[in-house]
Amino acid sequence: MSESVRQLPEEPAPESVVARYGLLQRAGGILVPILTVVLAFLVGGIVILLTTGSVADTLETYREIFKGSGLSWFFDVGNNSIGIPFTDAHVWFPWDTNEAVSESAANLQQTLILWVPLVLTGLAVAFAFRCGLFNIGGQGQYLAGSIAAVLIATELPKAVALPSFVLIVVCVLGAMIAGAALAGIAGFLKGTVGAHEVITTIMLNWIVIWVGSYLFGVGGPFQTGASSALPSSEDISEKAALPVFWGDPFLQGLHIGFFIALAALVVYSLTLNRTTLGYEVRAVGHNPEGARYGGISVARNYFLAMAIAGLFAGLAGALDILGWQFRLDTTQLQGSQIGFIGIAVALLGRNTALGVGLAGLLFAALQTGTASRNLDPSVFNPELASSLAIIIQGLVVLFVGADVIILLALRRIRRTRARGATA
Amino acid sequence: MKRLPRGWRAIGWAGVVAGVIAAFVALPPISLRSPVPSVVIGLVALTVGIGSWIRGERRIGGYAIAAGVFGFALGYLATRSSLEHLEAAVVWGALFAAMLRYATPLVFASLGGLFSERSGVVNIGLEGMMLTGAFFAIWGADVTGTWTLGLAIGIASGGLMGLLHAFFSISLRADQIVGGTAINFLALGLTSYLFIKLYAREGTPTDLSTIPNISLDFLGNVPVVGNFLDDVFGNLNLMIWAGIALVGAVWVVVFKTPIGLRLRSVGEHPRAADTLGINVYLIRYGAVMLSGMLAAAGGAYLSLGFVTTFEKNMTAGRGFIALAALIFGNWRPVGAATACLLFGFSSALGKTLQEYSTSVSVLFEALPYVLTIIAVAGVIGRSIPPAAVGRPYTKQ
Amino acid sequence: MNVLYGLYRADEGEIRVGGEQVIFHSPKDAIEHGIGMVHQHFMLIPVMTVAENIVLGVEPSVHGVLLDYGTASSSVRKLADSFGFAVDTDALVQDITVGQQQRVEILKALYRKADILILDEPTAVLTPQEAGELFEILRSLTEEGLSIIFITHKLDEVLEIADRITVLRRGKLISTLPAKGATEESLARAMVGRDVLLEVEKAERAPGETLLQVDGLRVHDDRGVQKVRGVSLEVRAGEIVGIAGVDGNGQTELIDALTGLRRPDDGRIELGGHDVTHDSAREHFAAGIGHIPEDRQRRGLVLEFSIAENLALHEFRKPPASRLGWLFPRRLLERAGRLITEFDIRGGDPTTPAGSLSGGNQQKVILAREIDRDPRVLIAAQPTRGLDVGAIEFVHRRLVEERDRGRAILLVSLELDEILSLSDRILVLYEGEFVGEFPPTVTQQELGLAMTGGGQGEQAA
Repeated sequence: MSESVRQLPEEPAPESVVARYGLLQRAGGILVPILTVVLAFLVGGIVILLTTGSVADTLETYREIFKGSGLSWFFDVGNNSIGIPFTDAHVWFPWDTNEAVSESAANLQQTLILWVPLVLTGLAVAFAFRCGLFNIGGQGQYLAGSIAAVLIATELPKAVALPSFVLIVVCVLGAMIAGAALAGIAGFLKGTVGAHEVITTIMLNWIVIWVGSYLFGVGGPFQTGASSALPSSEDISEKAALPVFWGDPFLQGLHIGFFIALAALVVYSLTLNRTTLGYEVRAVGHNPEGARYGGISVARNYFLAMAIAGLFAGLAGALDILGWQFRLDTTQLQGSQIGFIGIAVALLGRNTALGVGLAGLLFAALQTGTASRNLDPSVFNPELASSLAIIIQGLVVLFVGADVIILLALRRIRRTRARGATA
Repeated sequence: MKRLPRGWRAIGWAGVVAGVIAAFVALPPISLRSPVPSVVIGLVALTVGIGSWIRGERRIGGYAIAAGVFGFALGYLATRSSLEHLEAAVVWGALFAAMLRYATPLVFASLGGLFSERSGVVNIGLEGMMLTGAFFAIWGADVTGTWTLGLAIGIASGGLMGLLHAFFSISLRADQIVGGTAINFLALGLTSYLFIKLYAREGTPTDLSTIPNISLDFLGNVPVVGNFLDDVFGNLNLMIWAGIALVGAVWVVVFKTPIGLRLRSVGEHPRAADTLGINVYLIRYGAVMLSGMLAAAGGAYLSLGFVTTFEKNMTAGRGFIALAALIFGNWRPVGAATACLLFGFSSALGKTLQEYSTSVSVLFEALPYVLTIIAVAGVIGRSIPPAAVGRPYTKQ
Repeated sequence: MNVLYGLYRADEGEIRVGGEQVIFHSPKDAIEHGIGMVHQHFMLIPVMTVAENIVLGVEPSVHGVLLDYGTASSSVRKLADSFGFAVDTDALVQDITVGQQQRVEILKALYRKADILILDEPTAVLTPQEAGELFEILRSLTEEGLSIIFITHKLDEVLEIADRITVLRRGKLISTLPAKGATEESLARAMVGRDVLLEVEKAERAPGETLLQVDGLRVHDDRGVQKVRGVSLEVRAGEIVGIAGVDGNGQTELIDALTGLRRPDDGRIELGGHDVTHDSAREHFAAGIGHIPEDRQRRGLVLEFSIAENLALHEFRKPPASRLGWLFPRRLLERAGRLITEFDIRGGDPTTPAGSLSGGNQQKVILAREIDRDPRVLIAAQPTRGLDVGAIEFVHRRLVEERDRGRAILLVSLELDEILSLSDRILVLYEGEFVGEFPPTVTQQELGLAMTGGGQGEQAA
């Protein structure tokens, strides 16, 4: 009897991406990420050096970037007070938050505004990673959320008058569902037919970009007639805008999305560590075989992990729209890189809540610090600076990808040294 | 390959042809105004497709079903729009020429990706490598004054990117997808940085030596189809011809030479190849560098041959479409090239429709990605990559 | 053998080929010295043709550029004919039978002018008929002057094909004897040896009701090969049934089916009266089965999880570990503390990652997890693999205790000592079927014989 057999003899199971980062999580602590960042900035510094020609200018550039990011505000400690919300009382607070906004405060607000979506897209990637999945679809899931939020925020008020709070909640929920649905497709395909999530999420990214370009592009069903040079959606209803709690609302102050992002970090950590779902997700992420032998459904978890990841990314899209963008145009759709930087955030942050929070801050600071209006042109051409930010981001991702090796090498050195000592 | 009844395979292909005809009859030059023929023929294609699919010929059957639906829809839509619009938009000659122009960068990048993936290394950095080539070709032509050297410099820059990816993926055994993503970031940042530094003030020079078109005037003299041939092939860029030649060359190299056999063995079962004395690392390095060079060549055509200028992020995702074409084409040169043509046609059609229809044309841009997801999900037969792709290899 | 072929490096000792001492750095060296190897797991590329697989690396070419497939194909065919066996050189390896694939592997070595051919368990994947054909080929090869090293555990084959027989046990050479005078019994004695049995105190106990009932089970493996060919057994409360057999005779697939990880093609499994034949793994667990998997690191534990989390693998969905999806880690820790004491798990506290425990303690974690659920049936697969003596003793003692508590225990092991000392009844699994049932007083030789298909001559296939 002929047996058609596709025999691929057993190789030792290759380390999954998550397994390797799990290794890092256990052993690397905070040292390796810091080293990675330092290395990336060093190489970035070489690029600056080649451009400006002097070491002094290079250092000056980095100093300017730091000031431009607003992080310097934290170093300005003094005797100030801050009002407790909903009351008239005031309490001592080390930093100055009064209405006369200093330049560094304004910069910090910008950094934190950017921090919100970066953290959330970072969580989108991180959550999937914890289940052993590589979610490159953060960009598409983010945009799906943006699109949903814009549509709801522009169309719903036309149909029914809703109080601000309700409208915002509906927008946010709609965006989250949009992101989850998109990501869920990839998770479902992975769980059922084993389609590689990297490919499906990349494809879905572009599908969303083009669908969005159709909706809001020239002649699209939701394009506002205002300008055909920059086709965009209508502005969202004023009621849907998120309240600003620090800074001037007309100059893009920091909106309450900041707290939502903080809450998301907590939710992420709690979900993974304090729920049965998180238990299953982590088990599948560490050892799908072992999880299967223990009776856990791997396919179901693939779907759920992706869907939850999509929730985070969709939320990011909503917060950006409702917080400071207020409309969606085609250049945003095609030019945004938030989802991809989220990958860097998750990798650098080692898929933990604290790590993602800090890594998000780093990348946000880098982005704001290099934004053209912040840099002194005599020191460094501001237009170049944003490209510099992208280069440094790329370097971080590159070195993160390789630093597992550095870590393994370190371990081997330690082990041989130990063996030598006991010989 | 399983020898299924030949009959259903042929019938499946007939279904595909029928679907195309269904669209064709409603378009110029035939331009039937009644939707009935398109609908009927489209349904025939659909039925035939379903039949093939049930009989096991999932891939062909799927294509026939898709062609049937497409033909039916397009034919119907064409009869709904005015004749003048149709005549203006659907100029076959110009359309096919545009298809070739849009497809060529994809072909180069896709074939480059083929080498890399066939050797077992995932390369999603094709986008970045393409962009790198696009910039350095322009810069090279500007600095050296000739397009030949510019092209060479562009290709070399892609090779360097490929070397970087190879080093991290093969020697350091870093995760290949992370590496590819990093390459995309770096290329974007680097090319934007250099572009702003060097060309921000005036833009790229307008008198650059660009890759020339090749004039084939004699085509116009061919009886009957001369005009059409001349429209399509009469004045195509050198790179387009190079791309066509490349498809054939890649096919020969990968399937008909010893080096191609070894390349494929390394991607399918590196340990088996190793046990026979084949140097797995060397072949993978070479393949990845080649993929960088080819992708860069595609980018070089884009900047130096097509639009003759450089803009930030000008590849705009084409590298990913090339990857999609590779997957859709089942990692075979002819399949990938056909997919590139298909996607190129879709882009060309989208551009022409832009002036007449509304923004629907933009949706055409999403078509490559939808098709690829369907291919990967296995609805139309499974797209099966080389068995060992993505796994770093360790000699013992 | 892997050292001989250059795949591994030897720590000590020397290899001499044709009188010269050699060191092999890679298979290429071995090939150059005329050594060819047919591995148990073939080194073939499924999507390429037979001819392509054989000529890979030494391809004939036209002007050095194009692959001369025609020459490759015909020269391979000629080679095969000269040795008396036929291959379809243009068929894809994934489309031909396993027996034919093996011939391709042999041809690979012959094409590279091998004088010495090593075959590692070649008949493990062959039908009896294919095995016969293989022997024909091997005989004709020796007539051509080749030397063949044939590794196998099947005694009947050894006697049929060999001129000289060398017996290895636990990495040491025991003896080399001519095939002429050997019998299955003498070989079995040499193979199994006279190791000291680990004594386990075991009182006689009358078994109770049947808790696990299996009838006519047929299971195939991932490659579609039928590995369990009609197995029936029953395990009663208060007894340990041991399944002895050489690895690869269907044990893994049998256990997979019993625990719900693999759907049987045919047959019936009843657990405590419930038909669980087509149930999922979780449903099997719910029906009262406990499973100690044979690979504790890959299948039994999540090494990155703490001891507490691993212990909770079956319990985390229910109170008190969780309620409505919310986990209570403190409960997990409390439970872990209790189990750590009860099972004497050493090497850490409830928060220690399981990966940092020793093998023995890891196994204890698995034992604790499974036993604490009070399963009716406990399946233990290779429970003491890789453990030190103390851990082995603990596991054995515990299994007997559980038996005394009235559980039905199915022990699957490759270690005869373990089977003999623990089991109340012993079944021998050979090529997917039970070929004998023995009391624990059976001798190792008899068991060894049954395990290697000995005494099978009269039985029809």
